[in-house]
This record gives sequence, structure tokens and C-alpha cells, in this order.
Amino acid sequence: MRAILVALVFATALTLTAQRSDAHHGWAWTTGGNIDLTGIIKTAKLGNPHGVLTIDVEGEIWTVEVGQPWRNRRAGLKEGNLAVGVEVRIVGEPSADLKKKRMKAEKIFIGGREYPLYPDRD
Amino acid sequence: MEALLSDLEAAGFARTLRDGRWGYAAVNAAHILGIGMVVVSSLTINLRLAGLWRRTEFAMLYRPLSAMAIAGLLLAVTTGFLLFSVRAKDYAGLGVFQLKLVLIAGAVTLAVALHFGGRWRKLHPGSTAARLHALVSAALWLGALASGRLIAFAGH
Repeated sequence: MRAILVALVFATALTLTAQRSDAHHGWAWTTGGNIDLTGIIKTAKLGNPHGVLTIDVEGEIWTVEVGQPWRNRRAGLKEGNLAVGVEVRIVGEPSADLKKKRMKAEKIFIGGREYPLYPDRD
Repeated sequence: MEALLSDLEAAGFARTLRDGRWGYAAVNAAHILGIGMVVVSSLTINLRLAGLWRRTEFAMLYRPLSAMAIAGLLLAVTTGFLLFSVRAKDYAGLGVFQLKLVLIAGAVTLAVALHFGGRWRKLHPGSTAARLHALVSAALWLGALASGRLIAFAGH
């Protein structure tokens, strides 16, 4: 009985720790509304488990989560599209805490062409 | 160290996992299976040591569960190494990842001390020593599980 209580306490602690962190996965950490940013790619880290860009938006550095490789490919992105120095326009949801300057991309525009990462999201 | 991690990231299997879709998902799923096997087996042994399920003879529980825990650990370590290779430098620098390795090292050390030399046969379930072992071991495994899970939520 006591052991079960101990296990329950651990399980609860585990759930609480997991909830307070800000996630990359899913959309729970974002605002639900879209923003639209244009900037120059400063760093690009693509590949599993998910791709991350940092872009310079008129002097502000934003962290932009893009897709996993399969999602980027499905959107039509080729190797070299998301490279340092490229100007990109990103439409997507920012972190609920705007001070974090972090967002998750739904669509990417490069040179006027649209690359929809999440075609089902508006 | 830095060079070693870079070499690991450049390895063929690391590239394949980084760029593919189902390969990474499969290794990820196998990692979860390994974790499930080792953590649940260890927790069950620990709960028995703490005094639960007295009508089940300890050896009857310990033999299959320790085998399951070892198999799970091997699976989790192998797949964990593959997942690590995808972003070796990032993960190596992550506090929760380092903490996870320390906690696993502690939990495995405790399990090895119990397993080898037959100490598990001499330890009386429900005794203070057994309860202490159970409590520390459970805390280490659950801590490792929690810090491992947090890797996906920290960093960058």
C-alpha cells in the first residue's frame, strides 16, 4: 500500500514536470493566432526530430521551428532552400510567451513561392 | 570530445536517421519499448522488495523480471545511442541529458549490485535494507525517465 502511494507521488511529480515545460511538439504552447515575419536565415539546423531556423527580422532574432525532413520535402522545399543568408517570409503561430521570440511555421515563402508545411492549418 | 561527437553526427546511420521519416520513428518507438521494459520490470521488483505481493515468492518474480529488465536496458541503450547520434553535440551539452545519464548509471549500478553475487537471494523483501534499495532504485529510474522525457522539451 505504501509502495503504491510512493509510485503515485512519483507519477504525479512526473506529470507536473512535463506540463510546466515549453514544448516544441504540437501546438499547445502557441497562441492559436498567426503572425507573419520576414527575415534573413542566420542559422539552419534541419533534420529529425525537428528543424529549427534562426532568422534576423530587422535586428530581432527569432527562432522558427520548421518541419521534419519529410514535411519540408512534402511542402516542396529542396536542399539549399532553407540555407543561411536566404530571405524567408514565415507565417505561423508564435509562442504564447512573445518574449521568447519563438514560432512554429505553418507556411514558408521564398522568392514569392509558397511552401505549405501544414496545409490543413490556416 | 567535440571532434568525436562531430564524427558520430557524420556517420552514415546518423545521416540516414536524421533525414528519413520511418527509420527515425521506428528507432524512437523501439527506444520507448526498451524504456518500458526496463523501468516497469525494475519498479515491479522494487515494489515486491518494498513489501508488496507477499504471496508471490520473490524468486519467481525476480527471475523473469530481471531478464526483462536487462533485455529492455540493452534495447534502450542501443536505440538511445542511435537517437543521440542524430544531434550528438546538442544532446551532449544538455543538462537534462547529462542528468539522465548519471541517474541511469546509478540505477544500473544498484541493479548490478543486487543481481550479481546473488545478493537478491539474501535480501529479505520488506526488510529495511530491501525497502531502502527499492526506494532509491525507483527514484533513480523514475528520475531517469522524467529527465529523458524532458530532452524533447529543453534545448535550442
